[in-house]
Amino acid sequence: MSNIAGKAYAMNVITPVRPYLVWVNKVIFWAALKLPSTLKGLITLSLIHYARWVIIGKNQFPHLAPEQPKEDLSYCYMLFFSNFNGSWDQYVDSFTFAIPSGLDMFWKWNIRYPKSVALTPFHKYIQYNQIETLHYYNGYPLATSNDVKSASAVRDALIAFDQTADQGTDAEFIKRYHTLLRGLQHDLGDMYPTPIVSMAAYQVEKRTRWHASQLSALTADRVQQS
Amino acid sequence: MIVTKELDLLDIQGNVLRVYGRFRYPVARYVFLNLRDSAKGRAFVGAVTGRVTTSANWGPGPDQVPQPDWTVNIAFTYQGLKELELPRTSLIGFSPEFVAGMKGRKDILGDDGPSSPQYWDPIWRENRETREQDVHVFISLNAHTKGLLEDGYAWLKGVIEATQGGVVLLSGHLGDNHAVMDYQDGQAVMENGQPSAKEHFGYTDGIGDPVFEGLPRGSASVLGRGKQMADGSWAPLAVGEFLLGHIDEAQEYPPAPNPILLSRNGTYMVYRKLHENVGTFNAYLDEHAKHFPGGKELLAAKFVGRWRDNGAPLVKAPDQASKAAFDAQLAAADPQGQDALLSSFTYDDDMSGGRCPFSAHIRRINPRASLEFTRDPTDVPGSLKVSKDAFDTPGALTNRRRILRRGLPYGEVKDPTRDDGNHGIIIMILNVDINRQFEFVQQQWINYGNDFKAANDKEILLGNHSADERFASKAVIQVDPNGDDPPYFLSKIPRLVETRGGDYFFVPSMTALRMIAKGLVDPT
Repeated sequence: MSNIAGKAYAMNVITPVRPYLVWVNKVIFWAALKLPSTLKGLITLSLIHYARWVIIGKNQFPHLAPEQPKEDLSYCYMLFFSNFNGSWDQYVDSFTFAIPSGLDMFWKWNIRYPKSVALTPFHKYIQYNQIETLHYYNGYPLATSNDVKSASAVRDALIAFDQTADQGTDAEFIKRYHTLLRGLQHDLGDMYPTPIVSMAAYQVEKRTRWHASQLSALTADRVQQS
Repeated sequence: MIVTKELDLLDIQGNVLRVYGRFRYPVARYVFLNLRDSAKGRAFVGAVTGRVTTSANWGPGPDQVPQPDWTVNIAFTYQGLKELELPRTSLIGFSPEFVAGMKGRKDILGDDGPSSPQYWDPIWRENRETREQDVHVFISLNAHTKGLLEDGYAWLKGVIEATQGGVVLLSGHLGDNHAVMDYQDGQAVMENGQPSAKEHFGYTDGIGDPVFEGLPRGSASVLGRGKQMADGSWAPLAVGEFLLGHIDEAQEYPPAPNPILLSRNGTYMVYRKLHENVGTFNAYLDEHAKHFPGGKELLAAKFVGRWRDNGAPLVKAPDQASKAAFDAQLAAADPQGQDALLSSFTYDDDMSGGRCPFSAHIRRINPRASLEFTRDPTDVPGSLKVSKDAFDTPGALTNRRRILRRGLPYGEVKDPTRDDGNHGIIIMILNVDINRQFEFVQQQWINYGNDFKAANDKEILLGNHSADERFASKAVIQVDPNGDDPPYFLSKIPRLVETRGGDYFFVPSMTALRMIAKGLVDPT
């Protein structure tokens, strides 16, 4: 189990909503999508790969087979799903520092939501309602959301530059080259592995590696003996 | 400005609110102790407490508190508080990183390679390995002169001796020529026979300490040092960012041990000995100065965001001509005006980093409101701009990452071409949440760059740059996106600063010290 893969963290939070208030949430989601300025804070927080809020009705949970017992739910649920860069603390704190009123608008109708400020009750609310990620795959573990955007900017700029590479004089070339570099001056950071996000996660990784090495040593031993 | 808060200055230790160097104390001695007997240890704390310097105002007025010739302050590690027999219900209230200590947090702090604990000074290498070598108590002495410092030290040794072995002084600080010392000395770098605000790379240090509510003389210097508001004004930060038992920026009391009398008006302190590779720094600067278009001093300023000689911020003085005008203004200003000239600025007109680069020291340590930024595809490529009103307040991502910085340089540069002399900085960082404030800045902003859209590019001066070619460090010195220049690339940045030890301490209030000394801490 890990919520972390490379530089990304996966967060699933599911919180109950009273069925007769669900329409309020749906109106707010609709309005937020219609008025992009309401999401400006969220978009400015550049550590976010992705964030989505969705309402699951009390009869909408998957029923996969006839032998699965039927549930009788009292509430509808709001699922919040996000992938972001950095630690849980950094993400949750960035939310509450930067866009507390936006968070409150989305979550206000949820049962026992404490508001995003003060911080400690909000932390506890998220922690309590978070569902751990059982399997998490990251195709580009070294890349943050910013890095993906930068890589795409560098690619586009280089392709465009390449088309003019053999045009004009040397002086014109160097001018174009300098313009290229200047245009990419916020896109040329080096991608290396992530700093350790939390000691607890790091220790799990170390223990897992230790177990793996013990296993392979054991296997090697057995191969030798046979 | 309206004073909204009055702090109990007689309850707060003096090193929390005061930068001693600014009160004619250019020399300091840091002493670390091991407690061998709990009762004698508490008696020792009692004896020291009687002499501890508070934050009380010095100078004329009713009930005048005279300024001492030398100051005393005291702090404890988690092990120390355990030895002093604080109840378990109090001990579990301290933060996990304080319990783990600096060595236990090395992977978070990026203390790798030459900064690894195996290369720390003996006292720090042996700390948290065996009970007899554990650092329990920190005592700092600051004095007007070296002679007065010796007076203070003689007094301290007397108090230690009086415990008859109950408290032991721990040796193991490396000094000149690798001599093993009983203490760590710090002293201001001298310029023309006068103590200066310089450190060994030649930068003017200690500008722009945060201003929070209730800070004596704080309201006069809130510009550029408090928090940036939406209307462009500045307000003092909440007390609870720097002192436990007070409301913080999230409108709550920061997590703290019980009882509240143990934690209120106390704080956490990070003590860190940082060696400066002066030879490598000078060689690297000289090498790049040959190619950098603005010349050597401008390049040195780009590393930090301030000019070396007087700390003039690049945002206000981006080139030689504006620097000359700034210098004239600075020379003509009174001390309060000088403080505002040096500290009062925003990055609003430098969102692309053409003046102060994104990897410069001051932009990384305190980005002010510059993290409320975005890229607009209709703008000139290479430019970023303020994402106006995106956040509740412009400094939302910065206001809870502020730290108070105290400390002094140590040693002396005898050969500016060499790294192996005894020279560096003792830095003491004060904050209520080591993880949220100091460690976050160290990990995310110094040793990493994603918040600055700079991937893994590190802060130039303090970053834990790798000697491994595969992970070579670089920084982009950005230029005005509307100009004709290319950005300048600082390639293969060497490790300029190395950690030589340190630990996390709790700085109690005077009330808490008295309770600890009498064994009266009781959270029931």
